[in-house]
Parts: sequence; structure tokens; C-alpha cells
Amino acid sequence: MDPSIYGEWEAVIGLEVHVELNTKAKLFSPAANHFGDEPNTNISDVCTGQPGTLPVINQEAVRKAVLLGCALNAHVAKYSRFDRKSYFYPDSPRNFQITQFEMPIIVGGSVTADVDGIPKTFGINRAHLEDDAGMLKHFNRFAGVDYNRAGVPLVEIVSQPCIFSSKEAIAYAMALKAILQYIDASDCNMEEGSLRMDANISVRPKGSKELRNKIEIKNLNSFAFMGMALDAEFKRQVKEYVTQPHVDPSQIISQATYRWDADKKETVLMRRKETADDYRYFIEPDLPPLVLEEEYIDAIRQLLPELPYEREKRYISTYGLTSDAALMLVNEKTLADYFEEGLKVCSNAKSLCNWLVVEFAGRFKDSGKVLWESGIPASYVGKLVNLIDNGIITGKIAKKVADLMVENPQKDPEKIVQENPDFQPMCDTNELEAIVDRVLNENPQSIQDFKNGKERAFAFLVGQVMKVTQGKAPPPLINKMLKEKISKIKDQNP
Amino acid sequence: MYKQTALRLHQQFLDKKISAEEIVRYFLQRIEKLNGQVGAFLSVFPERALTQARALDQKRASGGKLGRLAGVPVGIKDNIHVQGELTTCSSKFLANYRAVFDATVTKLLEGEGAIILGKTNLDEFAMGSSTENSALQSTSNPWNLDCVPGGSSGGSTAAVAARLCPITLGSDTGGSVRQPAAFCGVVGFKPSYGRVSRYGLVAFGSSLDQIGPIAATTEEISMVMEVLGQHDVHDATSLPLHAEDYLSLIQAPIRGKKIGVPWQFLQDLPAEAKENFLKALEVMKGHGCEVVDVDLNILKYAVATYYIIATAEASTNLARFDGIRFGVRSKRAETLEQVYDYSRTEGFGPEVKKRIFLGTYVLSAGYQDAYYKQAAKVRVKIIDEFNRAFEQCDAIATPVSPTPAFKKGAIQDPLEMYLQDIYTIGVNLARLPAISVPSGFSKAKMPFGFQIIGARHEDALVCRLAHAYEKAAPYGLEVPPQFDKEV
Amino acid sequence: MMSNLNEENVKDLSRLCRIEVKAEELPALFADLKRVLDYVEQLREVDVSQLSPHSHIDEQGIGSLREDNAGSHLPRELFLANAPDQVGGMVRVPPVIKQAP
Repeated sequence: MDPSIYGEWEAVIGLEVHVELNTKAKLFSPAANHFGDEPNTNISDVCTGQPGTLPVINQEAVRKAVLLGCALNAHVAKYSRFDRKSYFYPDSPRNFQITQFEMPIIVGGSVTADVDGIPKTFGINRAHLEDDAGMLKHFNRFAGVDYNRAGVPLVEIVSQPCIFSSKEAIAYAMALKAILQYIDASDCNMEEGSLRMDANISVRPKGSKELRNKIEIKNLNSFAFMGMALDAEFKRQVKEYVTQPHVDPSQIISQATYRWDADKKETVLMRRKETADDYRYFIEPDLPPLVLEEEYIDAIRQLLPELPYEREKRYISTYGLTSDAALMLVNEKTLADYFEEGLKVCSNAKSLCNWLVVEFAGRFKDSGKVLWESGIPASYVGKLVNLIDNGIITGKIAKKVADLMVENPQKDPEKIVQENPDFQPMCDTNELEAIVDRVLNENPQSIQDFKNGKERAFAFLVGQVMKVTQGKAPPPLINKMLKEKISKIKDQNP
Repeated sequence: MYKQTALRLHQQFLDKKISAEEIVRYFLQRIEKLNGQVGAFLSVFPERALTQARALDQKRASGGKLGRLAGVPVGIKDNIHVQGELTTCSSKFLANYRAVFDATVTKLLEGEGAIILGKTNLDEFAMGSSTENSALQSTSNPWNLDCVPGGSSGGSTAAVAARLCPITLGSDTGGSVRQPAAFCGVVGFKPSYGRVSRYGLVAFGSSLDQIGPIAATTEEISMVMEVLGQHDVHDATSLPLHAEDYLSLIQAPIRGKKIGVPWQFLQDLPAEAKENFLKALEVMKGHGCEVVDVDLNILKYAVATYYIIATAEASTNLARFDGIRFGVRSKRAETLEQVYDYSRTEGFGPEVKKRIFLGTYVLSAGYQDAYYKQAAKVRVKIIDEFNRAFEQCDAIATPVSPTPAFKKGAIQDPLEMYLQDIYTIGVNLARLPAISVPSGFSKAKMPFGFQIIGARHEDALVCRLAHAYEKAAPYGLEVPPQFDKEV
Repeated sequence: MMSNLNEENVKDLSRLCRIEVKAEELPALFADLKRVLDYVEQLREVDVSQLSPHSHIDEQGIGSLREDNAGSHLPRELFLANAPDQVGGMVRVPPVIKQAP
């Protein structure tokens, strides 16, 4: 099939994001909400579904949900209710989940995110509270059930089907994650499962407004995988339509659930949904409907911190950062905080940003750690930038200093420079002059090339000087010296 | 001692005329000798009870503060948790299940010095009107051992009738405290929905269930309501109301109170029940009450409404019984599906299964609007009609049941059994308080019950009206001949 | 008035509510269910057009909700004491093939 065909189609994507709230206790049960402990050690009678137990709502979960609603500019329902959703599965302590089907706590709202530098506002359909299920561990001849996670408060955020590419999906998801971190609603740890994404995707000819059958992709546990899965599924669906032009489109793709296979790099069918599951939703009789006062909601809205998108705009306008750079900082709240901490000692925001998102990020990439958890104080990175800006060390030396900072996170870069003679700038102009002279003597052709107009020849000469000085000579000085000396050398051309 | 009311026993204990240990030994002895005939208790905890009794005696000796129920022995329906003891719900499914926490009512009772002697029999998972659905044991009516005690709290009412202990707790979803109380000739009270905590009561119909006290007299009912009738943080449907002083509230006179009777709704009442009911009304008139006619014809839909809502809720409440985390797992089961399917079919009795199927059906896609949602709307109408009736009167009176206790096995048709609750069921739908007081006997010397229903939150008024009735007609003090003796 | 229930429905229900019904039990169960469902059909007569199914329910405000304290705890041994089968601190079940709905 001709790959250019894909350009005639577009994806229509909706994302359902489940986020575990970071409350101390569970949603309806007073057991601890904590990951990683021994199985069945964070349980109570309620979250193990013991007979005779009743759900009682955790007010902090409600507060965080309201805060999220405000951050999403959504309507926070003054009246919302809970429903029972019935299905049998071992990780479900009651074989019904308590969720909000008919009347959720959050309705509407939106998330604005830059996609390739252009802001897009993504509509949100609704968000509601529900309790999480336990965990199954699969073995060969049996499975084990751990109820530590059962009952943990979840907010499920459902977007409108207003996402039209994997890029947009990633931008939306990252922006949503950043918001959740900024309001301290969740630790959004995808490895631990406190942020989970399901995507619904259908395709349609570009420009059409129809909504064809969609499939669901579950268990997308990284943004990268989500992007790959959506791209792969987009292509798969388009191919199905294009290669069966005489078949009724509604018969070509039918509702089903897929998962992303990272090894095969394709979406794999999990199960078909010929008939929708009958969850038999009905009002939860053990929980009176929740009524929130306007004052309560307003008070929470007043406490909204600066949100990621606002912060991004501020970085662009105040510090002149590019939108890509600003986005990288802002999407990870701790990194943005770290950046602002660094700005307390150094004023070169662009350079500081580069050191954070490029230089140090690269140094930590393979170790799996991150700069802001490495123990290197933000002020040290600021000081490093200052050292360069004040001409005390060259950029090249700074990279070596950075390497040492990674090895010794508690060591002040100024001290590193002081203690290391190799890092001292070459201040002795005589020594430098001698080196410049030598380089010029050894490269007469380059001199002539430069005089003939080849700019690259000058750069070559600079490079040669730097090689000898091992980066210790400040480039501005090298340039100045070379230019002066070259201008004194006679042009060989008459 | 068995003829003493709990109030008197408690007073005698306070006055140091008798020890808690003596009281407990006495009733344990009665249970040992007589329970075999009536099958009221499923399990008894002699060691636990005696240990508590001795501790209480110690407390009294050292001058410690004694609770309002100090020294009073109590039986608890076996769908209410006492930590560490079995809660079987009279089901094979839970035959080996030990409660992992105390019900709030258990904590409250024991906190006031009551001593729990054991757990009483019920229809399996509280589903039934005769206690014949118990999968573990049969209970007989102490007035005639060939007859049923009523249900689902038949064990609790039989225990009090036979004076195996003065006070028991039952649960009432559609009449399960009031109807067996009437059948056994004792007093049974269903509080307003939310008045008593449901935490620790194995749920059947979540929007209908209430735990209620059972005793021979209204004063004993009041003693217990003073302790149990309060807000509980573990139950979100629990009313934000403080405990009330029932014992003094019930003493107030009732002259001038208007009693509403839904004559048209009662038109099919059999002759004997009607005669008994009219006599009871005369007693109320004798106290200076006015009897007025109220329209509650809507209640002809009450049984249908109830069976849709209660079974819908029950079908989800009983979903947790799956053989996975607790209860009996089928030995036949090899796959996960079989764990569910076989454990549940082997563990549940036929009536329970029926109701789960029914409840699943009325909630299922395509049928929910026609059944569950329709029933929920009719429920609203029933509440509205009761509210209108209460504009005309202070309380509503009806018989408890169309007939006295029937013979075991006499009713096989499920619908006929459901219709036993025709006068009690509307009360649960409307979340109202109601009491059954013994109102005399049939020609066959089987007890009748007189029901007084109050407006929402008027629990004390209901007890007060019943107390006044009882003063003139103390049928509750009569003991069935077979049990009217020391052992 | 008659309900729509048939024996196929009962088999579907058996799958939904996870209770095995043997072939020989089916007719009696079906008959009982039908009897009750036919009886409840009478509710269709009632005019409830102006009514919403969930009015007259008590509501709760933020003040009656629980505080966020990790409190009452169920010790694992107590929890597992009632479990039919356990392994490594977990409840043990046969291998689970299908995915959660």
C-alpha cells in the first residue's frame, strides 16, 4: 500500500486517564494508601469486602478532586452521586466497584498544551471518583491476590474525542500529568501504576466529521509506548479500510480491546466486545449523594498554585526560553522548581536551562537517576553557569566540571575549579601568544585560505589553538589574538 | 428470674442483690435445657459471657462506673458481628466465617455492660418470613412448636418468647423484626432508617435494613434504644442525631394523639385478625386517642416495589460471597469461573439464589428502567402518600400480619410467603419507625401483633404510644406454657 | 400482565450473577422467577411520570465525610484466617486467564 495514503486519513483519539490520588488513606476505607508494601498489609475490613462493612468517603479525596476540577477549569458539581458497577473479578473485594456513573463530581473542563509550539485546547468530557481494585500476581498454576491497592482513590479523567494524532495525545497526557503534579493530587508514577492511560482510537478520511468504530488500547504505561501504539493502530485501521473498499466501513473495525506489545511493536487483540459488559449501574445505597457548598469550592479554587501552562508562558516571556525548552522544564514540576532555585544565584536563564535539560539530563540518562534527585543542589548548577559567563572557565572545561559534579554531587563547582589546575583558565597571554604563533607558523595555507575569504579556515585555526591549550584558553581571547596576528601577516596574493 | 424484665435485672444488679455471673449462669442454664426444643440459638458463648460477667462483678465491687445495660444478657441475630465469633447468616456459605470486627451495636451494648450470650437463628441472609430458610437449623414457635416463629429474626423472637434471655437484637428489612415478634408474642421495634448503625450487619437491602431490639416489654426496648439510637461515623447513612432518653420520653401521656388507620388498604384482613385489631384500637381510644381514616391504598404496590428494590440491592450485596477471600470454596472447583459458580450454588440456599437472580434481572440492561427505576419511583410515591397521611395523624396503626404464626411447611408458594409482609413492608420503603406489640391471642392461642408506625424520626413517639397500649394490655408478659417454668 | 422472562434469560442471568444452575433445576427456578415477575408487573399501572427515582434521599455535605487518617487496620493473619486458600501472604486462586472487564 502506498504510504502517502495515510496522509488522507486522520485519527480520532480519546484518552481515559486513571490517576491514583496521594491521600494518606483509601477512598472508602481507612486503610493506608501506600505502594510497595508486603501483600495484604494495607487493608481494612472495608477494602477487603468483609460482610457487614460500609463505605465512608475520605474528605481529602473529595478536596483533591475539586482542586483538579478547578485546575481544569471544569464545572465542579455541587450535587454528585455514587453508583455500584457490578462485575466479578478476584481483585474486586465486593465484585462491584463504587464509582460515579450518572452524576460525576467534575463535568467539562479543558487542558491547554503546546503541540509543536502551537497551543491547543483539549476538551474534557468529565472526571469522577472511584475506588481502585487490588492486584493479581500471576504464576504458573495459580494466581495470588493482594488487596493493598484495593480501595485506593482514583480519579478517572475522560477527554473528548478531540485528539487527532499521537503527538497531540502525548502533549495532552503530559500536560494533564503536569497539572496533577502541580496541584499535588498524585505522584503520577507510571511505573508504580499511579497514572494509567487507556486510549480509544478510530480513523476517518481527513476533513470528514463522521465517527467510525473505535477500539480501545489498554495498559499504555509510558508516553512513548502510547505514541507508538497510536501510530501503529492508526496505520492498521487505515490499511483495513483502504484494502477493503467495497465492505461497509462499520463492519471493518468493530469494538474490541487491544494492548500494546512493546516487543512486537504492534497492538495485539485482547478481546472482542460483541456485547457491551452489563455493569448494571445503579445508585449506591450506602452513600448519600454528596452536596458541596459554593464557598467550599471557591475556597479551594483560591488555593490553586501557578499551573504548568501559565508557568510555561511565563518562562517564555520573562526568560526568553523557546517553547520546547520551557515545556521540558514545566512538564516536570520538580525540575521547574529546581530551575527557579538555580535562578536565585544565576541570571542566565537560557544557559541554565540548557545545562539542565541537555547537559545534565544527558549525563543522567543511562543511570536512570534524575538531576533533581542526584543531590546536586540547584545553586551549584547556577554557579557553573556563572563560572562560564564570568570567563573563568570555558564551555569545554565546564563539561568536565559537570562530569565531576555528577560523581561528587555535594562538591561546589567553584571548589572543583579551584582544586584542579587543569581547569584553571589560561591567563598567561605570553604562553598563549607562543601557541598562537606556533599554530600560525604550522598552517600557512590556512592563513592564506582565510585571506582568500574562507571563513572555515579561521575556525580551523581556532580549533588548533584550542587543541593545544586543552580548552583552557578563553575563546574570545584566542579569536582576538589570531585576528590581530593574521592581519599583520602579508597576504600572499598580490 | 426468667419472668424479670431486663430493667429489673439491671436494677437488681446495680442494687447488688444479684451478681452478673448469677444472671449469666441462670440464662445459660435455661438455654442449655430449653434451646433444643425451640432452636432459637445457633451458637452460645458460655466462656466469653462468664468472663465478661466476672469482670463486670469486679467492676461493681471496686466502685467502677456501670453502664445502662450492666448485667443484662443479650442474644444477637447471627447476621450481626461479634468479633472472633462465627457470623454464619444461617448459610452454608459462611458456616466457618469468623467476624473480624465488632458491629457498632455490639460495641455499644458491651460498652454499656450488656453480656452477649450467643447468636440466634434466622432465615438465610435474612431472606424469608418464617426462619424456615435457615440452612443450619430449624426454629420453632414457643407458643406451638409445630408453627414457625416468623422471620427472618425468628431465632431472636423465639429466644425472648421462651425467656432464654430478656433481650435480643434482630434486623428488619421488610418486617423481619416486627412479624416474628408478633408471631411470638413479644415486642419488636424497627427504628427509622439510619437511626441505628448498620456497620457490622451483613447487608441484605441496604436502603431498607435496620437493626431493631426485641423484648417482652416496651421499657426494655427503650433501654436498648437509648444505647443504640445514635450516629455512627462508620455508617454514612446513619442519621446525625444524638441518643434520646427513651425511658422517660415513653412515660408521657398520649391523650389527644390521632391514630390513622388505612381502612381501605386493610379491607381484605381475615376476620380473626380484624377482630383483634379493632380491640387494640379500642385500647388506644381508651387512652384518649382519636382514630381517623387515612388513605394508604398505594401500599397495595408495596410488596412488588419492595421485592424489586430489595433483591436488586441484595444481588450486589451478596456478590462478595464468591469463595475467594472468605466463606466456603467449592471443592469441585478447578478454574476461577468454577470457584465462583460452584461455591455460590453450593453455598446459597434456594430462596437466596432466587432473589439474586431476580435482583440481577431487574438491574440488567434493557430491564432496569422498567423494573428497578420504576420501583424506585413508586417508592417515592409511597413516601409521599405516607407524608400526606401524617398530615392527618400522629401515627398510623395496622395489624402486623394477616394471620398468626402458620404451621411449618404450610406456605410453599414464594409469592404467598412474600405477601405475609404486606403490612410491614411499606414501612421499610418509607424509612419510618414502627413497632409490633403483642395484642392478644387467636382462638388457637397463637399471638397477634398490633403495629404502630411513626413519621420519620418519631421513634420515641412510636415507643411511647406502644408503651401506653401495653400498660392497658400487657400481653407481652405472658410466657408460653411450655417455657413458663424454671429448669 | 406478563413479563418477558424465558429460560434463555435465566441462563444469561446465571452467567451474570455467577451461580451455576443445573439443567434439572432450571424449570423450577424459571417458574418461581416468572411468578414473581408477573406479580411485579402491576407496578406499570402506577402513574409516576412526575417523579424522579431518587428524591427523598438524605444528602451528605463535606462535613460528614471521613478525615484522611490511615487508621483502622485489618492484620493480615486475621484477614487470611478466613481465606479458603492462601500463598505468600496473598489469597490464592486458580490461574486467571481472562482480563478484568
